[in-house]
Amino acid sequence: MSETNSIFDFLEAGIRAESLRQKAIANNIANLETSGYRRIDVKFEELLAKALNSTESVNLSEIEPLIHQPEKTPVNSNGNDVSLESEVGQMVKNTLRYKAYIRLLNKKYRQMELAMGIK
Amino acid sequence: MEVDNTFSPIDIATSGLKAHSKQIEVISSNVANARTTDVGNGMPYRRLETAFKAEDDEIGGVDLDKIFPDMSDFNKIFDPGNPNADEKGYVLMPNVSVPIEMMNLTIATRAYQANAAILKRYQQMVETTLELLR
Repeated sequence: MSETNSIFDFLEAGIRAESLRQKAIANNIANLETSGYRRIDVKFEELLAKALNSTESVNLSEIEPLIHQPEKTPVNSNGNDVSLESEVGQMVKNTLRYKAYIRLLNKKYRQMELAMGIK
Repeated sequence: MEVDNTFSPIDIATSGLKAHSKQIEVISSNVANARTTDVGNGMPYRRLETAFKAEDDEIGGVDLDKIFPDMSDFNKIFDPGNPNADEKGYVLMPNVSVPIEMMNLTIATRAYQANAAILKRYQQMVETTLELLR
């Protein structure tokens, strides 16, 4: 892992991924009744873990969250595989993670302000 | 189901919501077909039942294991004017009892609500933890 990655880089990458995932979930819910629609998901955690495990230096801004179609969930009669319950569950998890990242970012800024003696 | 440690209660509650909404779908089918005398093969509609199964033998969610037909006898009513009546004037009716279906509907709805309540409560719990980061 590269030493140049600060906590800000991590938080930025996380916030970017969660924002994109929120969009993906909104898209899935909007297409709840669209026939033939397969749900989309965002792949990010796996990519990040892979990058952090490798010995080479990692540039976090290069790890782009990817949109993919898992096509794992069962399809209903009109070829659609979105389940409202699953999407709501995903959304709750997503929101909580997003909130955690924002709080951490806020905490970090406060720490800097403290060091600079602004407040 | 992939269980992510911090959020596993959310995944479990979601599996409960999904299973019970499927059960409500089956009950709707039974109620809608409570008076269907022909399903295409000349026989009346046969009531459907659901069976749940745990996703794992440890802590985990629920899954709707199977939907199977209720093999109890069909009801017989006397209706000589009906085109489906036999020579004695009896018509076979589905083995669906609407009051029982309504009772099952109440149970399924309450179970769905309970899962939704768990989801909401767990969300509040995590938010309480996040308050510590303020």
